Amino acid sequence: MPRRRIYNPLTELLAAVLLVVLVLVVNRWEFSLAVLVFGVLPAVLLSGRARQIGLAIVLVAGPLLLSSLLLHGLFFPEGSTVLVDLGIARVTAEGLTFAAGMGLRMTVFTGVLLTAAMTMDIPELLATMTHRGWNRKLVFIVGSAVGLLPHVALRAQQVTRAQQARGLVVGRAPLSRFRALVAVTTPLVIGLLVDASERNSMLEARGFSSPGARTSYLPDTDTPHQRRARRAMVAVVGVFSAAWLVIAAVA
Amino acid sequence: MITLDSETFAYDDGVPLLAGLALTVRPGEYVVIAGASGSGKTTLARLLAGMTGADAGSVFRGSIALDGETIRFTGTPTDPRIDPAAWSSRVAYVAQGAWGQLSMMSATVGEEIAFGPSNRGVPPERLRRLVAEVAAALKLTPLLDRDPRRLSGGQLQRTIIAAAVVQRPRILVLDEPFQGLDDDAVQDVAAALEALRRDGTAVVVCEPMLPLSAPSGARVVALADGRPVFDGALDEGLRAGLRRYGIGAAGDPPRVDPGIAADRDRRSPVPGPAHEPHREPAREPDREFDPPLVILRDVTFRYPAAGEPRPQTGLTGVNLSVSAGEIVAVRGPNGSGKSTLLQHLDGLYRADSGSVTVGGILIRRQPTGALATTVGYLFQDTDQQLFERTVLREVSYGPLATGSRRADGARRAAEALDRVGLGALQNAHPYELSFVQRRLVALASLMATGPVVWALDEPTAGLDEPTRSMLATLLTRHAAGGGAVVLATHDAAFADAVAHRSIWLEDGRIRGTSTAS
Amino acid sequence: MSSSLTLAAESTAQRPRRLLLALGGALIVATYLFLVIVQPAEIAGGMGSTASLVSLFGFLGGGALLVGGILPMLTTSSLVVMPLGIALNIAIGQIAGSLGMQIYLDAIGTVLVAVLAGPAAGAATGAISNAIWGLFNPFALPFAAGAALIGLLAGLAARYGAFRRVYLAPVAGVIVGAIGGLVAAPVAVFMFGAAGTFGTNAIIAAFRSMGDKLLVAATKQGLLSDSLDKIVVFVLVALIVYALPQRAVRQFPFARTYRVLGTRTGTPTRAAVQPAGK
Repeated sequence: MPRRRIYNPLTELLAAVLLVVLVLVVNRWEFSLAVLVFGVLPAVLLSGRARQIGLAIVLVAGPLLLSSLLLHGLFFPEGSTVLVDLGIARVTAEGLTFAAGMGLRMTVFTGVLLTAAMTMDIPELLATMTHRGWNRKLVFIVGSAVGLLPHVALRAQQVTRAQQARGLVVGRAPLSRFRALVAVTTPLVIGLLVDASERNSMLEARGFSSPGARTSYLPDTDTPHQRRARRAMVAVVGVFSAAWLVIAAVA
Repeated sequence: MITLDSETFAYDDGVPLLAGLALTVRPGEYVVIAGASGSGKTTLARLLAGMTGADAGSVFRGSIALDGETIRFTGTPTDPRIDPAAWSSRVAYVAQGAWGQLSMMSATVGEEIAFGPSNRGVPPERLRRLVAEVAAALKLTPLLDRDPRRLSGGQLQRTIIAAAVVQRPRILVLDEPFQGLDDDAVQDVAAALEALRRDGTAVVVCEPMLPLSAPSGARVVALADGRPVFDGALDEGLRAGLRRYGIGAAGDPPRVDPGIAADRDRRSPVPGPAHEPHREPAREPDREFDPPLVILRDVTFRYPAAGEPRPQTGLTGVNLSVSAGEIVAVRGPNGSGKSTLLQHLDGLYRADSGSVTVGGILIRRQPTGALATTVGYLFQDTDQQLFERTVLREVSYGPLATGSRRADGARRAAEALDRVGLGALQNAHPYELSFVQRRLVALASLMATGPVVWALDEPTAGLDEPTRSMLATLLTRHAAGGGAVVLATHDAAFADAVAHRSIWLEDGRIRGTSTAS
Repeated sequence: MSSSLTLAAESTAQRPRRLLLALGGALIVATYLFLVIVQPAEIAGGMGSTASLVSLFGFLGGGALLVGGILPMLTTSSLVVMPLGIALNIAIGQIAGSLGMQIYLDAIGTVLVAVLAGPAAGAATGAISNAIWGLFNPFALPFAAGAALIGLLAGLAARYGAFRRVYLAPVAGVIVGAIGGLVAAPVAVFMFGAAGTFGTNAIIAAFRSMGDKLLVAATKQGLLSDSLDKIVVFVLVALIVYALPQRAVRQFPFARTYRVLGTRTGTPTRAAVQPAGK
């Protein structure tokens, strides 16, 4: 997987989150657009996986944008500038503006967070969390959940095939779908729980309950420099946000 | 050195196991604990691993002595509780089934092996040295950067062994470590165990059957119904007539019920693919087999490039015809396309080109579920389908899903259970049965739906001798009754004894056919 | 007997960090009250910078505090099922979302963990689950506090017997779902203008066409969808846990202590006549 990354994942993740906060604080479509064009777009293009990330952004944000446009574009009782009257539905300028503003905001969120997530090296993130002395239980839950995800999806697929081979046919009626859901999730969950119970003994045997700090097999890619940078970023965004909000309130 | 002295052990159901069993394992010893399903092997292995199950309601009375320190258990709540972390640094345990033993938070084999010591706060440099040493011993060094979730069975098993022994325990206990592995993987794992034993680690291996070959000086402890029935050298064990306890030897042919298949007893050695490379699939052997129940014509299939965790072999130009009354074994190394071929028979995979006809039905776009009355499929991994809370309900699912009336479905399920010898366990929970019994539940589910074609993926993997022989009998009877069986298998002795014909796959192509008798 | 191989006679389970729990809970409640009571003016049209900031920080921060308070009290047996619950939430939620269904099905794992391992583990599962999912689907992120609440309530429901009878599960589901919907609505409105799937938006559109304000319409939709969703989820989880072998349930101290599944055993005689899959 080609990937171009400069900073530690924790730094990148924090930067993405702070960008989201800034978009919310500034709350102007110009700023959102600027972040999209000058922040997200170059990041996606330089990521080395531009196509996958672009596709993911479209897949996540697209349906939401469309449904939001339909919802607010057609049904916005507060709107007064009626462009088209369709009886129960009215297209209003205010509704369209609202939909566009929200849509832009959602696109920025999706773009920023998805780009950060999809270029992130999860093992490196977990290693950094361990090196920085984060709670080992939290690191395990996050790491193990992310690791289980593809396994669960694959297993769900295999269970579905196994049940189909025994005569499961998923109909269109809700009850039939619900039965199919039971027939697939039950063996899936039981299998995963049986594994989990074995993993329980495994964790105990491997000394997971030991006191003290965990160590990590992977090297620490974090630097004191970046740690200082992270603190500085939080401080700057915090001060800026407070100032901006106060000025906005006064004005 | 560990000495287990068990007065009695009972799970929450109260049935006593391992009464009066004493076992001592000395440094560097190789001990095979052999026993049929339900004989108490796993219980014994877990006791050695310090898992007395007190928190799950089990009662153990006896003592375990490890390196001169004796811990006594009286089966009461005041019993000492073993510290699993301390115990495992002296006695490592590798349970059955790989997934439960991965932390799932490691993206590389190296991290997974390091999981234990890093929990204990071993500093990074020493951590990497420990991992490098154990990886070198188990020949895992080239795999250290691979994702443990995408390894082959043998590689995964060695990774788990490495993770268990990275603390350099003196004793390693493994519950059926060879289950489901092909011959090459078995050899790799065995070589890994030998490497550990050279350093003086004692190895205890649970197996459903006696291994034909084991390291010199291997000792066998045979269990039957929770009692020890034999303790001695392996070659003595092979001659001790342990079959009466349901303990066969790997590689023995199954015993087919003679009344049914008298004509199938004499077997000439079956030539391998190198000896007899037919271009065409075998002609219909003779008149006794017709009409064909399964016809594959020039089937070609490719897996979609993305989405699959591992690139898998598809099929190329496969022609196959299986008649009523015929049993065909599909053989070949791992990844040669055996399961893929089998899954074409019931529409789980659809051919890219060519045609598949089963029981007179041409498979086109109909849902897989609609074919369940014609083709029954036994998956390699049984546990992906069991979902009901009693065995009877489980087995009734197929008949009910394919349109049987309720009473009829229950009756057919009960009949199928009787035929696989599980009649007494109708009300048990499928997951509280042993591996072998769960396998039989899956087989009964297939039989209850009444398909004429059986497609079985590695049906003998992990079975004990009595079940393997019963399976042989069931297959032979099904064929004699006008059905057809296609089975993918590594079990040469089973295929040679039961199948009329073996086809050999390599890279998704039929490389040859060998006909029995 | 003292030995290097055995544990001390009593190992006290670690206590939760009460202060963090109280702070987290208070923050979430305060955020909700602020959004609903103090900010009604902003709902009319503007996108509400303060309101969305408050909802992001209040709910996410409250969720984080709760998780921080809960972590020390988690036993290993709870710990190993939580990733499983999270993975189930995301995997099934993603499928339901991509099918554009009116219900979310993204709490199956949370409710399952809550029933087996208790309200604390359930709440942490819900919160962490949305935090992780938020990376792949940013719309899940601000719902972390709501998801934690679902886990907490599902665990409490299980503790007081809602999963001892199959007909009690949907009742508990309706109540938990209604509360969850109530809490989730302002987040959806202030963060995303109530954007959701086509299914949920159609419901909001119906209320909007009757002249409801966005928050009111989204709340009504939340009450409807979430209640329906949680009925399905609770019944599904009930059916799954009834199908679990006793031994698997017994490994969870919570499920054992509070007899979450009642005296349920194989119930053989009934089983024989009931149809499969029901």
